[in-house]
Amino acid sequence: MAIDHACSCEKNPLLPSLCRVIDVKQETPDVQTYTIQTLDGKKPFSPLPGQLAMVSLLGVGEAMFSITAQGEDYIQSSIKRTGMLTDAFHEMQPGQEIGIRGPYGNHFPIEDLKGKDILFIGGGIGIAPVRSLIRYCLEHRSDFGHLDILYGARSKKDICFKEDCLENWAKEPDTSVYITTDVPSDDWDGHVGFVPSYIEEVGFQPEGKKVVLCGPPIMIKLGSASLLKLGFAKEDVITTLELRMKCGIGKCGRCNIGSKFVCLDGPVFTLAELDELPDEK
Amino acid sequence: MILAKKDIPKALEILSKEAAVYAPSIRKIEDRTTGVIQEEKIFLPFEEGTEIILDGPNTVKPPKDLLFPNVEKMYQYKAAGEDSYIREILPEDEKKILFGIRPCDMRSIESMDKVFFTKTYVDSYYAKRRDQVTIVAIGCLQPERTCFCDSMGIDPNQAPQADVMMNVAGEPEGESYVLQAQTEKGKALLDAISSLDQQEGAEPYQGTVCSLKIRKAEDLDKKLAGMFDHPIWDKVTKGCIGCGTCTFLCPTCYCFDIDNENYGNEGCKYRCWDSCMFSDYTRMAGGANPRPTKKERLRNRYMHKLSYFNERYGETLCVGCGRCIASCPSHLDISEFIEKATAADPDAVSYTDVPAGTDRKEA
Repeated sequence: MAIDHACSCEKNPLLPSLCRVIDVKQETPDVQTYTIQTLDGKKPFSPLPGQLAMVSLLGVGEAMFSITAQGEDYIQSSIKRTGMLTDAFHEMQPGQEIGIRGPYGNHFPIEDLKGKDILFIGGGIGIAPVRSLIRYCLEHRSDFGHLDILYGARSKKDICFKEDCLENWAKEPDTSVYITTDVPSDDWDGHVGFVPSYIEEVGFQPEGKKVVLCGPPIMIKLGSASLLKLGFAKEDVITTLELRMKCGIGKCGRCNIGSKFVCLDGPVFTLAELDELPDEK
Repeated sequence: MILAKKDIPKALEILSKEAAVYAPSIRKIEDRTTGVIQEEKIFLPFEEGTEIILDGPNTVKPPKDLLFPNVEKMYQYKAAGEDSYIREILPEDEKKILFGIRPCDMRSIESMDKVFFTKTYVDSYYAKRRDQVTIVAIGCLQPERTCFCDSMGIDPNQAPQADVMMNVAGEPEGESYVLQAQTEKGKALLDAISSLDQQEGAEPYQGTVCSLKIRKAEDLDKKLAGMFDHPIWDKVTKGCIGCGTCTFLCPTCYCFDIDNENYGNEGCKYRCWDSCMFSDYTRMAGGANPRPTKKERLRNRYMHKLSYFNERYGETLCVGCGRCIASCPSHLDISEFIEKATAADPDAVSYTDVPAGTDRKEA
């Protein structure tokens, strides 16, 4: 997808600006959402849905995360505890100073989605980038058709953004929400099963519909197969990729797939676009 | 202008008043185990009395570290609540003259310019160094047995993008050089040393050719794009030990890592050269790695040089300098790979379908 980019740091794109975490919310046992503001209480930058931010804990490290939400004076990132840096993030308390640079990458193709029904599919922490677009669509509700939201988590306690997934979104007009967990639990009376089979079970119809699919690689692979089986075209299935990144601006080399850099040309690709790239995802 | 070979030190002395001059010279290093003194030719800062060696083989290391240092500070920080700060560290204001760069290495700088100056973002660190550099290129007189720049479309006698082009006048053993300014920066440099102009001299020598000629398909980049799953990769990557020597000596390799160095709650963010030959390069938190073995890593390196970069920037990222061939401890040879890939049946599905390596012809 086209690179349409405006970076907030006009001078040195590798220099973060100092920001502050003003709120830490425990979403699940291993996911926290951080609300981030500049030191003078402003929004660090205004990302488009699907764009990324380089977040750094000074002295520990820096990594690329999706921006899951934004408001008048903040952005939010939801981070799963997976390694050395994210372990350190999870120790943060409100008030912590962090470095932020961005926004990076392309974004969900909002213009192409206008006037269409949209099926959002998220798996695990993959709901974080999807949520940025869901929020955009709900804020511009009349621009879009029917919204279906299908989200799969390991178990009830692993459901991210519980208020949105279990309460708020289902109350929105012309919006259907499907939640599933991989394993059953006593406090869960909803659907149990993996995302790909749930897609087929519900039997979404491809006519006039675009799909946004984000999650772990195995879910993308099997979920795509389910969608193709239901008759969706590869051009209509949009997903995001994730690779190790250092610079975020297409220079440092490591996040390439063929001649494309995920940080700059991605992270948003359609399945048709991914077909053009070497199989190294 | 015409500059006598014997006047080179004088010219460099004049130039070094205005800028730091770097030129090929010999560095002596004592081998710690044997005590033997080893000599290596590299770009060194010129001082009065430094012996400059413009002829002979090219430098062991390319001069890329003068534009893109192997370790470079990016910013300082302090992580201490209200006292936290982030302070940019840009390269110093220092004019440099790179004197005696060969056409292959000049071409590699052009490729780095494309990476660091184009595609949405300008890299501030590289840009600041690059803008302060004036480059005097020299026509190559002694390609090594591993040199194949002319098979990669580079004329070893010319470097059109250099600020000044310098060729020996007349024959290779001629006593003077012809210097031609190719940019405004180059004109200013020649003006500074115009007092040494001999006025008259023979035509610039243009007769150098590489001895190693390789058969490279015109559209190898497009052919390779269709060979991602080709059996050739199993074969060529067999000997690789993943040491990264090729990437550190390559004049066009520009990949970098970013890391911290801490002193208490203060510290410094720096970037340093990285190598796509290392498993850590693409390994993600959680352990997933899209390029888990040396096969995927070397494939990515060769594909980047010979196909991906063409697609993104319109040129090949191998300049044929031969350094990776000369220094690989496992004798991997990119020129041999180019020939094998040129000869390969793109639809082959097993080892035996790939034609054996073609014989080398030496001119």
